[in-house]
Parts: sequence; structure tokens; C-alpha cells
Amino acid sequence: MTALRFVFAKPWLWSFVAAFGTWLVTILFTGGASTLGLSQAALTFAAFSIIVGLGQMFVVTLGPGNVDLSIPATMTLAGTVALKVMDTQDGAILLGLLVTLGVGIGIGIANYALIKLLRIPPIIATLSSSFIVQSIAIATNRGIRIKPPAVLAEFSIASFLGVPNVAWLALVISVFAWVLLEKGLFGRWVSAIGQNMRAARLAGIPVDGVRFLTYMLCAVLAAIAGFLLSCFSGGAALNMGSEYLLTSIAVVVIGGTAVAGGFANVPGIWGASLFLFLVVSMLNTYGASAGVRMVLTGVIIIAVIIAASRKAVR
Amino acid sequence: MKHALILGSLALALMSGSALADTAGKKIALSNNYAGNSWRQAMLQSWDKVTKEAVAAGVVAAADPFTTAENQATEQAAQIQNLILQGYDAIVVNAASPTAINGAVKEACDAGIIVVSFDGIVDEPCAWRIAVDFAAMGKSEVDYLKTALPNGGKLLEIRGLAGVFVDDEISKGIHAGVAENPQFEIVGSVHGDWAQDVAQKAVAGILPSLPADIVGVVTQGGDGYGAAQAFAAAGRPTPVIIMGNRQDELAWWKEQKDANGYQTMSVSIAPGVSTLAFWVAQQILDGKEVPKDLIVPFLRIDQDNLEANLAATPTGGVANVEYSQADAIAVIDGK
Repeated sequence: MTALRFVFAKPWLWSFVAAFGTWLVTILFTGGASTLGLSQAALTFAAFSIIVGLGQMFVVTLGPGNVDLSIPATMTLAGTVALKVMDTQDGAILLGLLVTLGVGIGIGIANYALIKLLRIPPIIATLSSSFIVQSIAIATNRGIRIKPPAVLAEFSIASFLGVPNVAWLALVISVFAWVLLEKGLFGRWVSAIGQNMRAARLAGIPVDGVRFLTYMLCAVLAAIAGFLLSCFSGGAALNMGSEYLLTSIAVVVIGGTAVAGGFANVPGIWGASLFLFLVVSMLNTYGASAGVRMVLTGVIIIAVIIAASRKAVR
Repeated sequence: MKHALILGSLALALMSGSALADTAGKKIALSNNYAGNSWRQAMLQSWDKVTKEAVAAGVVAAADPFTTAENQATEQAAQIQNLILQGYDAIVVNAASPTAINGAVKEACDAGIIVVSFDGIVDEPCAWRIAVDFAAMGKSEVDYLKTALPNGGKLLEIRGLAGVFVDDEISKGIHAGVAENPQFEIVGSVHGDWAQDVAQKAVAGILPSLPADIVGVVTQGGDGYGAAQAFAAAGRPTPVIIMGNRQDELAWWKEQKDANGYQTMSVSIAPGVSTLAFWVAQQILDGKEVPKDLIVPFLRIDQDNLEANLAATPTGGVANVEYSQADAIAVIDGK
């Protein structure tokens, strides 16, 4: 019973169970020959979902109605502008990073300005700002792909101790996010606001400041992910962020973070991101057609969410 | 491409005598459903370039492009209704759906407006269609592989966006080609959404489970470079990857060709097909008899004209051809 209680208390466990299960089924197809390759690919591509997922997690934790829909546009703009500024020069990498952070901070400020000053619900505010951001990205470079500086391109596809560099980066960011959430005052405030905004305000929590910082954090993480992804895939593309809109929300939910807000979960983001990549790989490996693949992906995700949420928030 | 341009302006100069009389006062609009990738950007730029010259030369009075924000059929239908009210004489459409905007297209026809659809065509009978034989394009990939890899072997297929007509058609062509050539076998299929990063991710996911002797990758365009990256990352030898005319794909191909004599081919639709649609609309306005269904050739790049095409493609862009009035007349006359 205590073991069961442990499972009940750890909503993130389910995403890992699911990830491990799909991983196992996939490598069984080749009798284990694909173990190393699949694991490395999963860690590589999960890293991008993890980085954007962490940002979305903080936003969702702020409570009902809080979600950032400008993540794809932010990724696209950050990748586009940073690569244009660096113009394949290794010497300009620092500048490119600063521009990336600047883009993230700028969009974060713009998003919260819409939400707070114009009193637009976050879902509408971030959606409309994403149109503007996407248009700026289109205007910046008209869809022309500029290659990343050689050093960055190499770094983003290389591995250290057998683990892809982008996964190490995601780990560093995750540890930072976990400390922020579990050990720092900021995380407590975010959770408190998500549990009851009015109570949080009455308790003296600087609600607006915390919400502002949260939207900014999310935009900055999206910008970093966009920067990394464009270096990794050999250039920014106008549609490169599009699949991360649903992914960012899905990893938050599958990872055991409460959709209604108030309870966040960092490890679950890892399990969910790995799972989302592996489930597609598994179905591709077994040759499922597109229709079957989508239906099964949906069914599996629903199953995991039900399993996780039943045991989770009590 | 330069050649085509010179020809175009020449044709313009020659034609202006007859064309001026009839279409100089006509207004043509472009109704476009999506602008969010490099192909569509190139398409819009080609439109801009060619129609500006045409307007300056007095062939038509206006040729204004309009793009919807959300890639939604309902939004495009509303847009077309606005264009009807604004009094355009012809509307050139790249449609969000082959069926969902039929109502608006019919309204335009009923208002006496010429509707020419291209790339994303509409099946409303009153409209003209400039279609690409996507199935033939898919089959041409297998035909190329047949000569490049006489012994056949295992293939990986990268498809486009699931549920889209174009994806089904190209894939159908590829599978028809493979059925005719049993020396080939498709051992894996993934959806790359015509995007480099998505293709890279999907290929990286299935690659560990595929046999080591993949000899070729059949693609749909925009996904070749990502596939190459995924093979390289997995430490596998590079198979023959069919490219899709993007500059980074061509540049990568050139690099490999110079380094180790790598051979492949590249095929896709030139974004400048928008300009062909423009000229077809102009010709219809001019009173020319034009069949309702036209086929546009696809743009293919081979080993021997790779350098020329690469040089003519802007860095990070898509290989392109802009059409002239003379080209349009040739397509209409079925030459």
C-alpha cells in the first residue's frame, strides 16, 4: 500500500512509465539493435520540447485561462533574427544569444502588457501577439534560411559522454526551473497564484510582478529553444515552431502538471517529452499509416493523462 | 531563368499591341491562403515582381495580392466575397481547400468574375485550374532511382502533411512507381510535413529501427536536407536522397558532389507558378479561349544543371521560374 501511495503521489511517474514502455516496444522491433540510436534521437528531440514545455508549465500553473500561444512565433522570430544577426560568423555568437534573449524578453513584456493593460484574456492576447510576431519574422527575412555559425551548428548536433549537448542544456535549464519552483520563493508564489489568485493577493504576494515574470520566462525559454532548433536544423524556417504549440501544452498536461493551475511538475516534462517523440517513432517503426498513427497517438495520450490525473491532484 | 525573363519582357513588348486594348483597364486580385513558409514567400515575391512590371507596362490596371492570416477556408471565402465587392475582374486563387471555398468561387463566377485557381486548386466547375500532376512527380522520383540504382534496394519514404491532397497524390505516384519496379521496396514511411526540422525529427526517430542498407530516400520537397542531417547524425552512409529544390538542399548536394561525386536529382513546383496563373487570367480577360484544366510542368534539377540552378537560387530560398505571357500562351495551347 505504501508503494502504491508513492505512485499516487508522483504524477510524473506515469509519463516515464509511458515513455519507457514505448521505448521498449520500439527497440524490440529490431531486437535491441536500435537501443543507442533511438535513445540518443529521443533525448535530442525531446530537449526542444522540454525547454518550451518548462516555460508553458509555469504559465499554466498561474491558474485557469493562463496559456502562452505565442511560443511558435517566438521560436521562429528568435531563430530568424539571431541567425540573421550572426550571419554565419562564429565571432557573433554572443551577440546572437543576446538578441535571442532580447527577443524573448521583448515578447514577454508585450504579452503581459496586452494581458494587463488592455485586460485581454491571456489566450487571446498571446494568440494575437503571435500574429504580430510571426509577421515580424516574415518581414525580417522573407523565409530565407541563413545557416548557423559553424561552431554553433557543430555544438548543437554533438554529444558529450554519449548524451546530446542539447539534452545537457535542457537538463541545466530543468534543474534551474526545478530549484525556482520547489526551493525558491518565486515558484511558491506562482503556485499560490494558481491555487487562488485572490488569496495570494491578500497574502501580500506581488501577483502582477510574478505573472509578468512568468510570461517573460516562458517567452525567453521559447526564444532559446527556437535559437537552438534553428542551429540544430541548419537554419530558421518560418514554420519551424508550429508543432511546438500543441507539444508545449501536451507535455505539461501529460507530465502531471495540473491544467487548472496551482501544481507544477518539472520531472514530468521530461517523461512527457520523451514519450511524445517515442510514440511517433514507435508507430512509424511498426509502419502504422498516418490515420492509424494519429488515432493511436491520441488514444495513448488520453490514456496516459487519465492514468496520471486520476492519481495526481488530491 | 534570366532567359525566361528576357523572353517575357520581349513577349510583353510584342504583345502589348493586342493585349493593351482589352485588359488595360482590368483589375486582377490574388487570393492566397498561407504565407508562412519560404515557398509561399517566393511565390508572393514572384507575383509582386512580374505583376508590377505588367502594371507598369499597362497590360492590366492592378494586380493586388491578398493573404489570409489563418489558413482557414472560411476566412478565404470571406476574403473572396470582399474581392467581389471591390470590383476585381479576375481573382487568382491558391485555395485552402479544393471544396470548402466553392460557394464563394461560384458567387464570383456569377458576378462575372474570372476565377483561376493554381497549386491549391478548387473543383468548382466554373473556375479554371492550373494543376500540377503530383502523381507523375512522385513517379518520376522512382524512375530516376531506377537508372541511378539499377540493382534496386530498400527505400525510405518521407511524406508531407497527412490528410492533404498533395501528399496523397505524390505518395500514390511513388507507390505506383515502386509497384512497377519490384526491385525496390519501401521499408519505412514517415511524415515530414514538408518542413526541414519535422522531417529531420521523424527520420531520426525511425532510422535506428531501419535496416542498414537503405539505398534511397523518396521525398516530397523541403525535407531532403533534414533527412541528410538525420542520416549523418546516426552515422549512416548517405543514400540517394531526392531533393526538393530548396537552396540548402542544392547547396548540400553540390558539397557532396564535389567531395565524393554524390548523385541525385531534385524536383518540385516552382513558386513562380503564381505568375503563370496571373498570365492565364489576363489571357482569359483578353478573350482567349482557355481550357478549364491546365497542367503546369514541374521544375526538375539534375546532376548536370545543378550548378546553374544553384547559382540562380537566392541563398536560403527556393529554385524558381517566373513565367511570361508567352509561356502562358504556350501552356494554354498545350505546347
